[in-house]
Amino acid sequence: MVIFLAKRTVFMVLTMIAVSILLILLLEVNVGSLPTRVLGPYITEVQAAQWLEDEGYNRPIYVRYFEWVGDMLTGDFGYSTRFQIPVSEVLWERLGNTALLAFFVFALMVPLSLTLGILSGMREGSGLDRSISFVSVLTTSIPEFASAVLLSTIFVFALGWLEGTVGSGDGFHWTQMILPVTVLVLYGFGYIARMMRASMAEVMQSPYIRTAILKGLPYRRVIIRHALRNALIAPFTVIILQINWLLSGVIVVEFFFSYDGFGALLLEGAQNTDIDLIQACAMIAVVVAVSTQTIADIGYTYLNPRIRFS
Amino acid sequence: MDIKDLEKTHIGIPKMCKDLADGRVGRREFLRTTTLLGLSAPVAYSLLGEITGDGAIPQAQAQDAPQQGGTLRISMPVMEISDPATVDWSQKGNLLRMVIEPLVQLGSDNIARPWLAESWEASDDLSTWTFRLRQNAQWNNGDAFTADDVVAAFARWLDPATGSSNFGRFSSLQNDAGDGMIENGVVKIDDYTVQFNLRTPDLGLPELMTDYPALITHRDFDGRFQNNPIGTGPYRMTDYAVGQRASFVRRDEGEYWNDGFYVDAIEIIDHGDDPNATLAALRSGQVDLLYEMQISQVPAVREVPELVLYETVTAQTGVARMHVTEPPFDNPLVRQAIQACIDHELLLELGYDGLGVPGEDHHVAPVHPEYAEIPRLSQDYDRARQLLAEAGFGNGLDVTIDCVAAPTWEPNTCQVIAQMVRPAGINLAVNIMPGGTYWDRWTVAPFGFTSWTHRPLGVTVLNLAYRSGVPWNETGYSNPDFDALLDRANGTYDVEERRQLMVELQTMLRDDAIIVQPYWRAIHTASRDNLRGFELQPAREFHFQNVWLADA
Repeated sequence: MVIFLAKRTVFMVLTMIAVSILLILLLEVNVGSLPTRVLGPYITEVQAAQWLEDEGYNRPIYVRYFEWVGDMLTGDFGYSTRFQIPVSEVLWERLGNTALLAFFVFALMVPLSLTLGILSGMREGSGLDRSISFVSVLTTSIPEFASAVLLSTIFVFALGWLEGTVGSGDGFHWTQMILPVTVLVLYGFGYIARMMRASMAEVMQSPYIRTAILKGLPYRRVIIRHALRNALIAPFTVIILQINWLLSGVIVVEFFFSYDGFGALLLEGAQNTDIDLIQACAMIAVVVAVSTQTIADIGYTYLNPRIRFS
Repeated sequence: MDIKDLEKTHIGIPKMCKDLADGRVGRREFLRTTTLLGLSAPVAYSLLGEITGDGAIPQAQAQDAPQQGGTLRISMPVMEISDPATVDWSQKGNLLRMVIEPLVQLGSDNIARPWLAESWEASDDLSTWTFRLRQNAQWNNGDAFTADDVVAAFARWLDPATGSSNFGRFSSLQNDAGDGMIENGVVKIDDYTVQFNLRTPDLGLPELMTDYPALITHRDFDGRFQNNPIGTGPYRMTDYAVGQRASFVRRDEGEYWNDGFYVDAIEIIDHGDDPNATLAALRSGQVDLLYEMQISQVPAVREVPELVLYETVTAQTGVARMHVTEPPFDNPLVRQAIQACIDHELLLELGYDGLGVPGEDHHVAPVHPEYAEIPRLSQDYDRARQLLAEAGFGNGLDVTIDCVAAPTWEPNTCQVIAQMVRPAGINLAVNIMPGGTYWDRWTVAPFGFTSWTHRPLGVTVLNLAYRSGVPWNETGYSNPDFDALLDRANGTYDVEERRQLMVELQTMLRDDAIIVQPYWRAIHTASRDNLRGFELQPAREFHFQNVWLADA
């Protein structure tokens, strides 16, 4: 177990180092435009060169790389040219906002999709199964931007029931979260429900379930005590991986509903060539991706005794 | 007012009256020119009514009494505003205008009115201007607003190191070397009087003072506005976060010099780049007013009874401009060939839903008072092919135009231009990029599509964008004949004479083919129906003196 965890952690750190090197190499291409971004479009070439010198951009790339990694490890993510404040001041707030959105989505999506998946997989081929499968395939295949436009046309413009953006001004009200959460749940639940259904259906056909039914156990008890435990193993990984999607992949929804989240931040950083911000966001996204992957791996192994830790 | 009084204001005014009576001058030209020459707007309107015999005085509309109070919430990008002298977006000007003010303000009727200046007088030859300042204006740090503030502001603007577009805007105050202000250009006569001694006469001086980089900062301004927002304006800035929000509250009772400004607080909210988000915020009552909206959203706003649509025809435009030092555009034949492919009417129809007026490739609009009608060019592919062949591109030409991704009318228009030039053998690729990236290179891109805001006079833009060496000259165009003619036009108030000069200027600019100017666009915005007294100013300036909230 200890060796397994150590292996996973080393792999996680190596991935982050590889990505960080890749990042600094990619952004190196844009260094020339930095002075204009910071000092404005009217600066002279002399001023630009002076700025690059003063800010240390003329030093070798490996020196800057280690400095950057060191700064990040101590929580200093640099200065955002877009927001004119240190990156850390905007980064954590935005990540917090996105985590809140992710929490609401999770709280709704996981129970909903598991319940529907179980109901569907319990009696494969039944009318209920077919209806649930149809709905989940339908909603999952409608991209977020389309359902966002559709729902906002109906509930914001036509009916005037819901608010069209989140957090205009000071803070926000929970009713403003309804639309973005709904869009994400609609898009995400179908996938988990389908996984749950497949897993459940497979378990239901296994001999030990048949034995349990035939020896006269109540159906309810068979499902809850025997089938569910094993059927949950496969969807578990999928569910954990949704965290990664929700924290760094909901750019479209955040943009559409003007939600001040992490995805929108990444987009703004990219649109404004805000190098420090992009680097910080990318690294955070990598950390989230690699950690959730590792957690999923460990969790899966733990849940499934057939897989050894070695 | 008799002739003597009019002459006292300016010697040119009686002739303007006569020209108006004889039908040589239109109403708009009359109003614009006489107010620039120092006549107050109400007097100019009443003279116009007297001479033409129709009720030209704008009738005060029957409206409820304004209600004091409330918070006005506006959706607008919150941009960086460290130095008001170098701002380059109307949005930034609108943020700043809550706190700092111009000497002269441009109304939604395109007429310049005194603001921090109380009145002005021009010498007969338009080279000496005397501005009297308001004596009751006060900075929000307690200092009195005086001539020292104005002199200090002009000194900063005319210092090339500041990098202000005002350097080109007030070119009549530049020294001959072009590296600073002429000696005694701006002189303090007493605490409340400033005299401008221009190198070349300039009728447009008061209107230049209306533009958004010409807001007056405190005499001790240190170049970091958001850290220390001192102003004479009606509001104080209480919160400011780039890309997020800005908040303003009204100054204490009796502290501000002007009346009106009924709203207690103003909140600006940045909803990001998605125009759907701003309209959704308006529809759901999260904001009261939008800074702007897309033409594609006009039908949606018309559908909703709780929303009010504002439209105004303007001199706002975009230009597909070619940099004259960058190949292949250093060859005038290439530029003329591209110009010859354009059908401006069709471009307006396809690029902007026909909501505007076709352009003529010389950046002077029919709404400008000095606009001269010159024969139009029409689409001519044979000529285009011939020009290309002469330029050595008989086998075709591959070029790329840079443009911003949003607002969408800009890339759409570029796409239509690309289709229009194709039959002549020009393969035009449209390189759509984020706004930030484009604005980093807008003055150096070989071929780019740049949007230009409304300016009250045609010569204003010509001075800003096409005079040799000025900061906003994005085409690298440098033509001494053009500069000399422009100097003359700046200093001519006689309408006929000025128009003759404009014919030459417009023709020269068009035939040098440095821009393809598709159209002049109508602009739109929307508010909730609780908002009263708002008018859409052609340059999208926010003027909130008469604005109030019915549900305050």
